[in-house]
Amino acid sequence: MPLYLPIAELSMDVFLVIGMGAIVGFLSGMFGVGGGFLMTPILIFVGVPPAVAVATESNEITAASVSGALAHWRRQGIDIKMGSVLIVGGAVGSFFGAQVFTYLKSLGQVDLMISLAYVVFLGSVGGLMLWESVRAILRERRGYVAPRIPREDRHKAWIHVLPFKMRFRKSKLYISALLPLFIGMVVGVLAAIMGVGGGFVMVPAMIYILGMPTNVVVGTSLFQIIFVTALTTVFHSVNTQTVDIFLAVLLLIGAVVGAQVGARVGFKLNGERLRALLALLVLLVCVKMGFGLVLEPAELYSVSEVATVGANH
Amino acid sequence: MRAFYISLLTAGLLALSLPVSGLVTDLSNKRIEIRYSFDGAELILFGAVGSSAVDPVNDAFDVVVVVRGPEAAAVVRRKDKVGGIWLNNAELVFPAAPGYYAVAASRALADIAQPTVFASYGIGFDNLPLIARSELGLLKPDAEFRTALYRLRESENLYRQELDSVSLVAEGLFRTDVYLPANVPVGEFLVETFVFQEGSLKARNRIRLHVDKEGFERAAYDFAHQFPLLYGLTAVLVALGAGWLAGILGKK
Repeated sequence: MPLYLPIAELSMDVFLVIGMGAIVGFLSGMFGVGGGFLMTPILIFVGVPPAVAVATESNEITAASVSGALAHWRRQGIDIKMGSVLIVGGAVGSFFGAQVFTYLKSLGQVDLMISLAYVVFLGSVGGLMLWESVRAILRERRGYVAPRIPREDRHKAWIHVLPFKMRFRKSKLYISALLPLFIGMVVGVLAAIMGVGGGFVMVPAMIYILGMPTNVVVGTSLFQIIFVTALTTVFHSVNTQTVDIFLAVLLLIGAVVGAQVGARVGFKLNGERLRALLALLVLLVCVKMGFGLVLEPAELYSVSEVATVGANH
Repeated sequence: MRAFYISLLTAGLLALSLPVSGLVTDLSNKRIEIRYSFDGAELILFGAVGSSAVDPVNDAFDVVVVVRGPEAAAVVRRKDKVGGIWLNNAELVFPAAPGYYAVAASRALADIAQPTVFASYGIGFDNLPLIARSELGLLKPDAEFRTALYRLRESENLYRQELDSVSLVAEGLFRTDVYLPANVPVGEFLVETFVFQEGSLKARNRIRLHVDKEGFERAAYDFAHQFPLLYGLTAVLVALGAGWLAGILGKK
């Protein structure tokens, strides 16, 4: 059943779109990740212009994060104060990311930037994750138990030197506000240029850099993602008019159903193996994007309409 | 369909008896509406050649139909290998390239008339008056970029040549199908019909075709482009509502 998407300006099969949402939803439910890093490349792969894919995916992630954050809210798994600082950083990052996005779109280099960002971030995060989980699996086989690091020693010395210290009661932390501000900012930039929520960067950063307790990490990250992707959606709407609400809603319908099934499958799997699988999936997307950059394309030329709307200046 | 065909046949025969108009044409639909289910459109162009210009009964004639979409600026970019990766490196802007261009003919163009004849009427890819914009001003486009534009648009079914044929039915009556793909640009289209005989133009006429987004699709597009901030906020509200709903449904 074809559906004409008025913003993307193309006709897509409704069931294909819902199906893509369901598959990505299934994987994100199983692994407990947002899925933006899978959805945006898949949208580009099926022919959605990269700029539309990134902006529309931001909109879908807002919706997906609301339902996730609600669940964490109910079990009090959100540090609102920490989340707010992350949001302020995210807003700044998202604003600059969207500006860079708009500028590069006018130069015809936005596709390159999206691919490069994917290769760099997915490559490094996927590589680290794979290393961590493989090491954990090997240790488990050898029966090695890592010594627990005392809570006081988790922070590196340089972290305590930073000014503007703030108390985050829920996270039981007394650290400089600059840290979450900076992390939020990086995530905001990624949200704007990659069409992702940024959880794959934020969650490890919250655990390893901030030292937040794991029970508030995911909820707080989702809380931040709602606001930052919402802002990103508005920035992209204003700058480049590339947000397609209809595409986003269709993807969401599939994603909601897929995530429910995926979560049930995920519970049955071993945590470390699940993490290794996710790492492989991340690396797969990274390699796919990387091949697009280094292999000679079949068609060297591309044509696009010159934006007539006063988007750039 | 048959009734439509017969009525056009009568119209065609009537046209034959009119001494002044040498050529009449009509489209099965002069207004194409892009709606949610739009997946491309197929139109039928009917025409009849009157006796004043050509004697259709005794003399063979050829028909060339050119459909041209609205002109818009297009940029063609070429990827080059820079530092090991393929990236857009060179570009050429065509300030006024037709968004749709289709040529249908009753025979191969080369058999109908000399290339110079087609050139004087701007028929065919080679004769499109395309100019390119550069720092030096407007100039004749680089052949490589020009053929790339044709190739890319052909692969999207937006530029068509030597693909569609005009069938000569009988008694000076002819028809052809006009294909508009799903990604057709919106705006005013011009359908030009040329009648050739023995290599020279005998008659021509043009009719307009209007393609536009309609109803909800038009409203959504206008909303996004005219009130982008409100559109963005709406998108966020929709997402928040949908996410909240999904959260409630997911809990059950």
